[in-house]
Amino acid sequence: MRCKSIYWLAVMMCFFAIGCDNTDDGSYVDPITIYEKVNGNWGLTNLKMIDESAKANKIEPSEENLSTYFNYEDFKIKFNVDEKNSPTSYEVSGNVPPLFAPKGYWKLSSDFQPVNPTGATKIYLYSDAQKTQKTDELLITSIPGKNGEMELKLVHASGGVPFVSYVFKLTTIN
Amino acid sequence: MKKIIYTILLALLMAPNFMQGQENVGAVGSMSSFPVVYKYDEQVTWYFDLSGTTYAENEDLYMWIWSPSEPDAGNWENSSNFAKLTHVKDKIWSFTLTPTLYFTKTPAEIAASAGFWFRIKNKNGSKQSDVANMPYTDFSSFYTANELIRSYPTKPTIDKGVSILFNANLAPGFAGAKSVHMHSGLNDWDIKQEYQSWLPEIVAKTKLKDLGNGFYKMDLVPKDYYNAPDGYEMKNLVFLMVKDDWAGTTPDQVLFAGAYVPPPAPVFGFFPLQLSQKDFLGMSRKNNESGVNKLIYTITAGSKVINGEFTGGTAEIKGFVNLVAELNGIPNLTEIHVVVKDNKNKTISDTKMPLKTLDK
Repeated sequence: MRCKSIYWLAVMMCFFAIGCDNTDDGSYVDPITIYEKVNGNWGLTNLKMIDESAKANKIEPSEENLSTYFNYEDFKIKFNVDEKNSPTSYEVSGNVPPLFAPKGYWKLSSDFQPVNPTGATKIYLYSDAQKTQKTDELLITSIPGKNGEMELKLVHASGGVPFVSYVFKLTTIN
Repeated sequence: MKKIIYTILLALLMAPNFMQGQENVGAVGSMSSFPVVYKYDEQVTWYFDLSGTTYAENEDLYMWIWSPSEPDAGNWENSSNFAKLTHVKDKIWSFTLTPTLYFTKTPAEIAASAGFWFRIKNKNGSKQSDVANMPYTDFSSFYTANELIRSYPTKPTIDKGVSILFNANLAPGFAGAKSVHMHSGLNDWDIKQEYQSWLPEIVAKTKLKDLGNGFYKMDLVPKDYYNAPDGYEMKNLVFLMVKDDWAGTTPDQVLFAGAYVPPPAPVFGFFPLQLSQKDFLGMSRKNNESGVNKLIYTITAGSKVINGEFTGGTAEIKGFVNLVAELNGIPNLTEIHVVVKDNKNKTISDTKMPLKTLDK
Protein backbone atom coordinates (compact mmCIF):
# COMPACT_ATOMS: atom_id res chain seq x y z
CA MET A 1 0.00 0.00 0.00
CA ARG A 2 2.74 2.44 1.00
CA CYS A 3 4.76 1.53 -2.11
CA LYS A 4 1.76 2.29 -4.30
CA SER A 5 1.46 5.85 -3.09
CA ILE A 6 5.14 6.49 -3.74
CA TYR A 7 4.57 5.38 -7.36
CA TRP A 8 1.69 7.76 -7.68
CA LEU A 9 3.88 10.54 -6.35
CA ALA A 10 6.53 9.71 -8.92
CA VAL A 11 3.94 9.85 -11.71
CA MET A 12 2.79 13.24 -10.47
CA MET A 13 6.37 14.53 -10.46
CA CYS A 14 6.65 13.51 -14.08
CA PHE A 15 3.64 15.61 -14.97
CA PHE A 16 5.20 18.61 -13.24
CA ALA A 17 8.35 18.17 -15.25
CA ILE A 18 6.42 17.96 -18.51
CA GLY A 19 4.32 20.96 -17.56
CA CYS A 20 7.43 23.17 -17.57
CA ASP A 21 8.35 22.12 -21.07
CA ASN A 22 7.60 25.39 -22.91
CA THR A 23 9.88 28.30 -22.05
CA ASP A 24 8.18 31.74 -22.06
CA ASP A 25 10.59 34.56 -22.80
CA GLY A 26 7.85 37.22 -22.76
CA SER A 27 7.21 39.87 -25.36
CA TYR A 28 8.98 43.23 -25.48
CA VAL A 29 7.62 46.00 -23.21
CA ASP A 30 8.87 49.54 -22.83
CA PRO A 31 10.98 50.11 -19.76
CA ILE A 32 9.15 51.73 -16.89
CA THR A 33 9.74 55.48 -16.88
CA ILE A 34 9.01 57.88 -14.01
CA TYR A 35 6.28 59.41 -16.18
CA GLU A 36 4.17 56.37 -15.51
CA LYS A 37 4.59 56.94 -11.79
CA VAL A 38 4.19 60.72 -11.67
CA ASN A 39 1.22 60.98 -14.00
CA GLY A 40 -2.19 61.22 -12.42
CA ASN A 41 -4.02 63.16 -9.75
CA TRP A 42 -2.35 63.92 -6.42
CA GLY A 43 -3.77 65.31 -3.19
CA LEU A 44 -1.81 67.07 -0.45
CA THR A 45 -1.25 65.35 2.87
CA ASN A 46 1.29 67.82 4.26
CA LEU A 47 3.01 71.07 3.30
CA LYS A 48 6.13 72.06 5.15
CA MET A 49 7.96 75.37 4.82
CA ILE A 50 11.65 75.08 5.59
CA ASP A 51 13.80 78.06 6.50
CA GLU A 52 17.01 76.84 4.85
CA SER A 53 19.20 79.59 6.28
CA ALA A 54 17.88 78.95 9.81
CA LYS A 55 18.40 75.22 9.29
CA ALA A 56 21.96 75.73 8.05
CA ASN A 57 22.73 77.84 11.11
CA LYS A 58 20.86 75.53 13.48
CA ILE A 59 18.40 78.26 14.47
CA GLU A 60 14.92 77.23 15.63
CA PRO A 61 12.29 77.19 14.32
CA SER A 62 13.62 76.01 10.99
CA GLU A 63 10.38 74.38 9.83
CA GLU A 64 6.71 75.30 9.91
CA ASN A 65 3.73 73.21 8.93
CA LEU A 66 1.47 75.09 6.52
CA SER A 67 -0.96 72.23 5.83
CA THR A 68 -3.84 73.97 7.56
CA TYR A 69 -3.22 77.45 6.12
CA PHE A 70 -4.36 79.14 2.92
CA ASN A 71 -6.72 76.38 1.82
CA TYR A 72 -3.89 73.87 1.39
CA GLU A 73 -6.19 71.11 2.70
CA ASP A 74 -7.78 71.30 -0.76
CA PHE A 75 -4.55 71.38 -2.78
CA LYS A 76 -4.53 68.93 -5.67
CA ILE A 77 -2.20 68.66 -8.63
CA LYS A 78 -2.77 66.67 -11.81
CA PHE A 79 0.05 65.66 -14.14
CA ASN A 80 -1.24 64.52 -17.53
CA VAL A 81 0.49 62.30 -20.07
CA ASP A 82 -0.52 61.32 -23.60
CA GLU A 83 -1.06 57.75 -24.83
CA LYS A 84 2.71 57.30 -25.26
CA ASN A 85 3.28 58.26 -21.63
CA SER A 86 4.81 61.57 -22.68
CA PRO A 87 4.15 64.50 -20.35
CA THR A 88 1.64 67.10 -21.49
CA SER A 89 -0.09 69.58 -19.18
CA TYR A 90 -0.49 69.92 -15.43
CA GLU A 91 -2.99 71.75 -13.29
CA VAL A 92 -3.32 72.77 -9.62
CA SER A 93 -6.75 72.96 -8.02
CA GLY A 94 -7.89 74.02 -4.59
CA ASN A 95 -7.64 77.83 -4.73
CA VAL A 96 -4.23 78.04 -3.06
CA PRO A 97 -1.57 80.77 -3.25
CA PRO A 98 0.51 80.61 -6.45
CA LEU A 99 3.78 79.27 -5.05
CA PHE A 100 4.32 78.04 -8.61
CA ALA A 101 2.22 78.59 -11.74
CA PRO A 102 -1.13 76.85 -11.18
CA LYS A 103 -1.24 75.44 -14.69
CA GLY A 104 1.02 74.79 -17.63
CA TYR A 105 3.12 72.03 -19.12
CA TRP A 106 5.66 69.72 -17.64
CA LYS A 107 8.50 67.34 -18.28
CA LEU A 108 11.09 65.52 -16.25
CA SER A 109 14.80 66.15 -16.13
CA SER A 110 15.30 62.42 -16.64
CA ASP A 111 12.99 59.71 -17.91
CA PHE A 112 14.36 57.10 -15.57
CA GLN A 113 14.87 56.83 -11.90
CA PRO A 114 18.39 58.01 -11.04
CA VAL A 115 20.79 55.32 -9.87
CA ASN A 116 22.73 57.88 -7.90
CA PRO A 117 20.47 58.95 -5.02
CA THR A 118 21.94 62.48 -4.81
CA GLY A 119 20.80 63.41 -8.30
CA ALA A 120 17.07 63.85 -7.65
CA THR A 121 14.84 64.05 -10.70
CA LYS A 122 13.27 67.44 -11.36
CA ILE A 123 9.88 68.32 -12.76
CA TYR A 124 10.29 71.30 -15.09
CA LEU A 125 7.19 73.48 -15.38
CA TYR A 126 6.54 75.54 -18.51
CA SER A 127 3.97 78.13 -19.46
CA ASP A 128 3.86 77.01 -23.10
CA ALA A 129 3.13 73.68 -24.77
CA GLN A 130 6.41 73.87 -26.69
CA LYS A 131 8.16 73.90 -23.30
CA THR A 132 10.45 76.82 -23.97
CA GLN A 133 9.28 79.18 -21.19
CA LYS A 134 10.25 77.52 -17.93
CA THR A 135 8.34 78.94 -14.95
CA ASP A 136 9.43 76.76 -12.04
CA GLU A 137 11.03 73.49 -11.16
CA LEU A 138 10.11 70.96 -8.51
CA LEU A 139 12.48 68.39 -7.08
CA ILE A 140 11.08 64.87 -6.73
CA THR A 141 12.50 64.06 -3.31
CA SER A 142 10.50 60.87 -3.00
CA ILE A 143 9.65 58.82 -6.09
CA PRO A 144 6.17 57.30 -6.04
CA GLY A 145 6.23 53.59 -5.34
CA LYS A 146 3.60 51.04 -4.38
CA ASN A 147 2.48 53.19 -1.42
CA GLY A 148 1.14 55.84 -3.83
CA GLU A 149 3.04 58.67 -2.18
CA MET A 150 5.24 61.33 -3.71
CA GLU A 151 7.22 64.19 -2.23
CA LEU A 152 7.99 67.34 -4.20
CA LYS A 153 10.25 70.15 -3.09
CA LEU A 154 10.14 73.72 -4.34
CA VAL A 155 13.42 75.47 -3.58
CA HIS A 156 13.77 79.24 -3.40
CA ALA A 157 17.39 80.17 -3.94
CA SER A 158 19.22 83.41 -4.53
CA GLY A 159 22.69 83.41 -6.06
CA GLY A 160 22.58 79.63 -5.95
CA VAL A 161 22.04 79.54 -2.19
CA PRO A 162 18.68 78.11 -1.06
CA PHE A 163 17.01 80.19 1.66
CA VAL A 164 13.46 78.78 1.77
CA SER A 165 11.94 75.57 0.48
CA TYR A 166 8.50 74.01 0.46
CA VAL A 167 7.98 70.28 0.77
CA PHE A 168 4.69 68.92 -0.63
CA LYS A 169 3.79 65.45 0.59
CA LEU A 170 1.28 64.03 -1.86
CA THR A 171 -0.79 60.94 -2.11
CA THR A 172 -2.37 59.54 -5.22
CA ILE A 173 -6.11 60.01 -5.75
CA ASN A 174 -7.95 57.12 -7.47
CA MET B 1 -51.31 50.85 15.21
CA LYS B 2 -48.20 50.10 13.17
CA LYS B 3 -48.12 53.70 12.05
CA ILE B 4 -48.10 54.95 15.63
CA ILE B 5 -45.23 52.63 16.57
CA TYR B 6 -43.20 53.81 13.60
CA THR B 7 -43.87 57.41 14.49
CA ILE B 8 -42.67 56.83 18.03
CA LEU B 9 -39.59 55.00 16.79
CA LEU B 10 -38.78 57.82 14.41
CA ALA B 11 -39.21 60.39 17.15
CA LEU B 12 -36.88 58.41 19.43
CA LEU B 13 -34.27 58.19 16.68
CA MET B 14 -34.40 61.90 16.13
CA ALA B 15 -34.30 62.84 19.81
CA PRO B 16 -30.49 62.81 20.11
CA ASN B 17 -30.31 65.31 17.25
CA PHE B 18 -32.22 67.84 19.27
CA MET B 19 -29.96 67.33 22.24
CA GLN B 20 -26.81 67.99 20.24
CA GLY B 21 -25.68 71.26 18.74
CA GLN B 22 -23.53 71.99 21.74
CA GLU B 23 -20.16 73.57 21.38
CA ASN B 24 -17.39 72.48 23.71
CA VAL B 25 -15.18 75.48 24.50
CA GLY B 26 -12.34 73.55 26.20
CA ALA B 27 -11.08 72.92 29.70
CA VAL B 28 -11.29 75.27 32.67
CA GLY B 29 -7.75 76.48 33.41
CA SER B 30 -6.24 77.22 36.80
CA MET B 31 -8.67 77.68 39.67
CA SER B 32 -8.21 79.51 42.95
CA SER B 33 -10.33 80.79 45.79
CA PHE B 34 -10.41 83.68 48.18
CA PRO B 35 -10.27 83.03 51.12
CA VAL B 36 -7.58 80.47 50.34
CA VAL B 37 -9.05 78.15 52.98
CA TYR B 38 -12.64 78.41 54.15
CA LYS B 39 -15.32 76.55 56.01
CA TYR B 40 -18.32 75.38 54.03
CA ASP B 41 -20.50 77.96 55.72
CA GLU B 42 -18.20 80.86 54.85
CA GLN B 43 -18.64 83.10 51.85
CA VAL B 44 -15.99 82.37 49.24
CA THR B 45 -15.14 83.59 45.75
CA TRP B 46 -13.92 81.04 43.24
CA TYR B 47 -11.77 82.19 40.33
CA PHE B 48 -11.59 80.39 36.97
CA ASP B 49 -9.01 81.09 34.29
CA LEU B 50 -10.85 80.55 31.01
CA SER B 51 -8.18 82.06 28.76
CA GLY B 52 -7.60 78.61 27.30
CA THR B 53 -11.22 78.34 26.17
CA THR B 54 -12.95 79.85 23.18
CA TYR B 55 -15.25 81.96 25.39
CA ALA B 56 -15.06 85.67 24.54
CA GLU B 57 -14.20 88.21 27.22
CA ASN B 58 -17.60 89.84 27.14
CA GLU B 59 -19.58 86.61 27.23
CA ASP B 60 -22.17 86.02 29.96
CA LEU B 61 -21.26 82.76 31.66
CA TYR B 62 -23.06 80.60 34.19
CA MET B 63 -22.21 77.97 36.77
CA TRP B 64 -23.67 74.54 36.10
CA ILE B 65 -22.88 72.50 39.23
CA TRP B 66 -24.40 69.16 40.20
CA SER B 67 -22.29 68.09 43.15
CA PRO B 68 -22.79 68.47 46.13
CA SER B 69 -26.27 69.40 44.79
CA GLU B 70 -27.79 70.90 41.65
CA PRO B 71 -29.21 74.34 42.55
CA ASP B 72 -30.07 75.29 38.94
CA ALA B 73 -31.51 71.90 37.98
CA GLY B 74 -33.83 71.86 34.97
CA ASN B 75 -32.62 75.20 33.64
CA TRP B 76 -29.89 74.07 31.21
CA GLU B 77 -31.46 76.05 28.40
CA ASN B 78 -31.99 79.16 30.50
CA SER B 79 -29.60 79.48 33.43
CA SER B 80 -30.82 81.43 36.45
CA ASN B 81 -29.30 84.75 37.40
CA PHE B 82 -28.05 83.37 40.71
CA ALA B 83 -25.72 81.08 38.72
CA LYS B 84 -24.12 83.92 36.78
CA LEU B 85 -20.37 84.44 36.84
CA THR B 86 -18.57 87.79 37.01
CA HIS B 87 -15.81 88.66 34.59
CA VAL B 88 -12.83 89.90 36.63
CA LYS B 89 -10.20 90.59 33.96
CA ASP B 90 -8.32 88.92 31.12
CA LYS B 91 -10.73 86.00 30.79
CA ILE B 92 -10.75 85.22 34.50
CA TRP B 93 -14.28 84.83 35.82
CA SER B 94 -15.36 84.62 39.45
CA PHE B 95 -18.27 83.08 41.28
CA THR B 96 -19.16 84.04 44.85
CA LEU B 97 -21.13 81.72 47.08
CA THR B 98 -21.61 80.41 50.58
CA PRO B 99 -21.55 76.66 49.94
CA THR B 100 -24.05 75.68 52.67
CA LEU B 101 -26.59 78.21 51.39
CA TYR B 102 -25.98 77.66 47.67
CA PHE B 103 -26.27 73.89 47.90
CA THR B 104 -28.78 73.82 50.80
CA LYS B 105 -26.61 71.29 52.59
CA THR B 106 -24.93 71.13 55.97
CA PRO B 107 -21.13 71.39 56.17
CA ALA B 108 -21.04 67.68 57.09
CA GLU B 109 -23.10 66.76 54.01
CA ILE B 110 -20.83 68.80 51.73
CA ALA B 111 -17.74 67.27 53.33
CA ALA B 112 -19.16 63.80 52.68
CA SER B 113 -20.05 64.61 49.05
CA ALA B 114 -17.94 63.92 45.96
CA GLY B 115 -16.80 67.56 45.94
CA PHE B 116 -17.59 70.49 43.68
CA TRP B 117 -18.21 69.21 40.11
CA PHE B 118 -19.33 71.60 37.42
CA ARG B 119 -19.22 72.94 33.91
CA ILE B 120 -19.17 76.59 32.93
CA LYS B 121 -21.82 77.28 30.29
CA ASN B 122 -23.48 80.12 28.49
CA LYS B 123 -27.05 81.18 29.18
CA ASN B 124 -28.85 78.91 26.72
CA GLY B 125 -26.48 75.97 27.04
CA SER B 126 -25.23 76.05 23.44
CA LYS B 127 -21.68 76.27 24.77
CA GLN B 128 -20.10 74.44 27.68
CA SER B 129 -16.68 73.81 29.18
CA ASP B 130 -15.25 70.41 30.02
CA VAL B 131 -16.27 68.99 33.37
CA ALA B 132 -14.16 70.56 36.14
CA ASN B 133 -13.64 70.05 39.84
CA MET B 134 -13.05 72.94 42.24
CA PRO B 135 -10.43 71.70 44.71
CA TYR B 136 -11.09 72.25 48.42
CA THR B 137 -8.37 72.54 51.05
CA ASP B 138 -9.40 70.92 54.30
CA PHE B 139 -7.65 72.72 57.17
CA SER B 140 -9.46 70.95 60.02
CA SER B 141 -6.23 69.25 61.16
CA PHE B 142 -5.21 72.65 62.55
CA TYR B 143 -7.77 72.29 65.36
CA THR B 144 -5.85 69.41 66.87
CA ALA B 145 -2.34 70.18 65.66
CA ASN B 146 -1.20 72.25 68.64
CA GLU B 147 0.20 74.92 66.33
CA LEU B 148 -0.05 78.60 67.28
CA ILE B 149 0.03 79.81 63.67
CA ARG B 150 -0.43 78.09 60.33
CA SER B 151 -0.69 79.75 56.94
CA TYR B 152 -2.05 78.67 53.56
CA PRO B 153 0.12 78.76 51.49
CA THR B 154 3.10 78.32 53.82
CA LYS B 155 4.99 80.96 51.84
CA PRO B 156 2.66 83.73 50.70
CA THR B 157 3.30 85.87 47.62
CA ILE B 158 2.51 89.53 47.14
CA ASP B 159 -0.38 89.27 44.71
CA LYS B 160 -2.03 86.05 45.83
CA GLY B 161 -4.29 85.34 48.78
CA VAL B 162 -3.09 83.95 52.09
CA SER B 163 -5.07 82.53 54.99
CA ILE B 164 -3.40 82.78 58.42
CA LEU B 165 -4.86 80.51 61.11
CA PHE B 166 -4.38 81.34 64.80
CA ASN B 167 -4.97 79.06 67.76
CA ALA B 168 -5.61 81.52 70.65
CA ASN B 169 -5.86 78.61 73.12
CA LEU B 170 -2.09 78.34 72.87
CA ALA B 171 -1.51 82.08 73.44
CA PRO B 172 -1.34 82.93 77.17
CA GLY B 173 -3.77 85.66 78.20
CA PHE B 174 -6.08 85.34 75.17
CA ALA B 175 -8.83 83.46 77.01
CA GLY B 176 -12.14 85.32 76.88
CA ALA B 177 -11.05 87.58 73.98
CA LYS B 178 -13.91 89.58 72.46
CA SER B 179 -11.96 90.06 69.25
CA VAL B 180 -8.49 89.37 67.88
CA HIS B 181 -6.62 91.76 65.58
CA MET B 182 -3.49 91.52 63.48
CA HIS B 183 -0.76 94.11 63.86
CA SER B 184 1.48 93.52 60.84
CA GLY B 185 3.78 94.68 58.10
CA LEU B 186 5.72 93.64 55.04
CA ASN B 187 9.51 93.28 54.85
CA ASP B 188 10.24 93.77 58.57
CA TRP B 189 7.68 96.54 59.03
CA ASP B 190 8.70 98.44 55.88
CA ILE B 191 5.03 98.85 54.98
CA LYS B 192 2.80 98.60 58.05
CA GLN B 193 -0.80 97.93 58.81
CA GLU B 194 -0.83 98.71 62.51
CA TYR B 195 -3.68 97.83 64.78
CA GLN B 196 -4.92 101.33 65.52
CA SER B 197 -7.68 100.42 67.94
CA TRP B 198 -9.11 103.96 67.97
CA LEU B 199 -9.95 103.94 64.25
CA PRO B 200 -13.14 101.95 63.56
CA GLU B 201 -12.29 101.11 59.92
CA ILE B 202 -8.80 99.89 60.94
CA VAL B 203 -10.35 97.85 63.76
CA ALA B 204 -12.58 96.20 61.16
CA LYS B 205 -9.80 95.69 58.63
CA THR B 206 -7.38 94.09 61.09
CA LYS B 207 -9.99 91.89 62.76
CA LEU B 208 -9.61 88.12 62.47
CA LYS B 209 -12.56 85.90 61.61
CA ASP B 210 -13.71 83.94 64.66
CA LEU B 211 -13.91 80.23 63.79
CA GLY B 212 -15.13 79.36 67.30
CA ASN B 213 -13.48 77.55 70.25
CA GLY B 214 -10.54 79.99 70.30
CA PHE B 215 -9.61 79.55 66.65
CA TYR B 216 -9.24 82.56 64.35
CA LYS B 217 -8.44 83.22 60.70
CA MET B 218 -7.13 86.17 58.71
CA ASP B 219 -7.58 86.30 54.92
CA LEU B 220 -5.72 88.84 52.82
CA VAL B 221 -3.89 89.58 49.58
CA PRO B 222 -0.66 91.37 50.67
CA LYS B 223 -0.56 93.74 47.68
CA ASP B 224 -4.05 95.04 48.42
CA TYR B 225 -3.99 94.79 52.19
CA TYR B 226 -0.79 96.82 52.55
CA ASN B 227 -1.42 98.89 49.42
CA ALA B 228 2.07 98.00 48.20
CA PRO B 229 3.38 99.89 45.16
CA ASP B 230 3.63 98.07 41.82
CA GLY B 231 6.75 95.97 41.54
CA TYR B 232 7.21 95.82 45.34
CA GLU B 233 9.27 92.76 46.20
CA MET B 234 7.86 91.02 49.24
CA LYS B 235 10.41 89.18 51.37
CA ASN B 236 8.39 88.51 54.50
CA LEU B 237 5.19 89.25 56.35
CA VAL B 238 5.72 90.06 60.06
CA PHE B 239 2.86 90.19 62.53
CA LEU B 240 1.58 89.62 66.00
CA MET B 241 -1.95 88.92 67.16
CA VAL B 242 -3.57 91.32 69.62
CA LYS B 243 -6.37 90.59 72.09
CA ASP B 244 -9.14 93.20 72.28
CA ASP B 245 -7.68 96.72 72.73
CA TRP B 246 -4.08 95.59 73.25
CA ALA B 247 -5.09 93.51 76.30
CA GLY B 248 -2.55 90.90 75.25
CA THR B 249 -0.26 90.00 72.35
CA THR B 250 1.46 87.00 70.89
CA PRO B 251 5.21 86.99 70.31
CA ASP B 252 6.34 88.35 66.92
CA GLN B 253 5.61 86.03 64.03
CA VAL B 254 7.05 85.91 60.56
CA LEU B 255 6.00 84.29 57.29
CA PHE B 256 8.67 84.19 54.63
CA ALA B 257 7.50 85.06 51.17
CA GLY B 258 7.55 82.49 48.41
CA ALA B 259 10.01 83.12 45.65
CA TYR B 260 8.61 85.59 43.20
CA VAL B 261 8.64 83.90 39.83
CA PRO B 262 8.68 86.55 37.13
CA PRO B 263 6.74 85.55 34.05
CA PRO B 264 8.97 84.50 31.15
CA ALA B 265 9.85 87.34 28.79
CA PRO B 266 7.82 87.58 25.58
CA VAL B 267 9.59 86.32 22.46
CA PHE B 268 8.67 87.71 19.06
CA GLY B 269 10.03 86.32 15.81
CA PHE B 270 9.53 86.26 12.07
CA PHE B 271 9.66 83.16 9.91
CA PRO B 272 11.64 82.64 7.74
CA LEU B 273 14.81 84.65 8.40
CA GLN B 274 15.15 85.55 4.71
CA LEU B 275 12.40 85.66 2.16
CA SER B 276 11.44 86.60 -1.36
CA GLN B 277 8.30 88.13 -2.78
CA LYS B 278 7.05 84.58 -3.40
CA ASP B 279 7.24 83.37 0.21
CA PHE B 280 4.89 83.31 3.15
CA LEU B 281 5.79 85.50 6.10
CA GLY B 282 5.15 83.92 9.47
CA MET B 283 5.20 85.73 12.80
CA SER B 284 4.76 84.51 16.32
CA ARG B 285 4.92 85.88 19.84
CA LYS B 286 5.25 83.58 22.84
CA ASN B 287 4.82 84.28 26.59
CA ASN B 288 2.42 87.15 26.00
CA GLU B 289 1.49 89.48 28.82
CA SER B 290 -1.98 88.83 30.23
CA GLY B 291 -4.58 90.53 28.09
CA VAL B 292 -2.43 90.47 24.96
CA ASN B 293 -4.18 88.19 22.48
CA LYS B 294 -3.67 89.79 19.05
CA LEU B 295 -0.88 90.67 16.68
CA ILE B 296 -2.02 93.39 14.31
CA TYR B 297 0.22 93.90 11.29
CA THR B 298 0.63 96.47 8.55
CA ILE B 299 2.94 95.48 5.72
CA THR B 300 3.94 98.07 3.15
CA ALA B 301 5.45 96.83 -0.12
CA GLY B 302 5.90 99.67 -2.61
CA SER B 303 2.43 101.15 -3.00
CA LYS B 304 0.72 98.03 -1.66
CA VAL B 305 -0.43 97.94 1.97
CA ILE B 306 -1.50 94.68 3.61
CA ASN B 307 -3.38 94.79 6.92
CA GLY B 308 -4.44 91.94 9.11
CA GLU B 309 -4.32 90.36 12.54
CA PHE B 310 -3.66 87.07 14.26
CA THR B 311 -5.32 86.01 17.49
CA GLY B 312 -4.00 83.69 20.15
CA GLY B 313 -3.43 83.51 23.88
CA THR B 314 -0.77 84.19 26.45
CA ALA B 315 1.12 81.05 25.40
CA GLU B 316 1.44 82.01 21.74
CA ILE B 317 -0.01 84.13 18.97
CA LYS B 318 1.01 82.93 15.55
CA GLY B 319 0.09 83.21 11.91
CA PHE B 320 1.27 83.48 8.34
CA VAL B 321 0.79 86.31 5.87
CA ASN B 322 0.03 85.26 2.33
CA LEU B 323 2.66 87.42 0.61
CA VAL B 324 2.72 84.86 -2.22
CA ALA B 325 -0.73 85.95 -3.35
CA GLU B 326 -0.66 89.55 -2.07
CA LEU B 327 2.58 90.49 -3.83
CA ASN B 328 2.07 88.24 -6.87
CA GLY B 329 3.27 90.01 -10.02
CA ILE B 330 4.20 93.35 -8.43
CA PRO B 331 7.41 94.45 -10.18
CA ASN B 332 10.56 95.97 -8.72
CA LEU B 333 9.98 95.20 -5.05
CA THR B 334 13.18 95.17 -3.04
CA GLU B 335 11.89 95.31 0.52
CA ILE B 336 8.84 95.24 2.74
CA HIS B 337 8.16 97.33 5.82
CA VAL B 338 6.46 95.36 8.58
CA VAL B 339 4.88 97.01 11.62
CA VAL B 340 3.37 94.72 14.25
CA LYS B 341 1.34 95.96 17.22
CA ASP B 342 -0.51 94.14 19.97
CA ASN B 343 -4.18 94.69 20.83
CA LYS B 344 -3.13 97.30 23.40
CA ASN B 345 -1.56 99.35 20.58
CA LYS B 346 1.98 98.67 21.74
CA THR B 347 4.47 98.37 18.87
CA ILE B 348 5.99 94.91 18.94
CA SER B 349 8.14 95.24 15.83
CA ASP B 350 8.92 97.86 13.21
CA THR B 351 11.16 96.18 10.66
CA LYS B 352 12.33 96.62 7.10
CA MET B 353 13.00 93.30 5.42
CA PRO B 354 14.92 93.02 2.16
CA LEU B 355 13.31 90.76 -0.43
CA LYS B 356 15.65 88.23 -2.03
CA THR B 357 15.69 87.92 -5.78
CA LEU B 358 14.92 84.39 -6.89
CA ASP B 359 17.26 82.54 -9.25
CA LYS B 360 15.60 81.64 -12.51
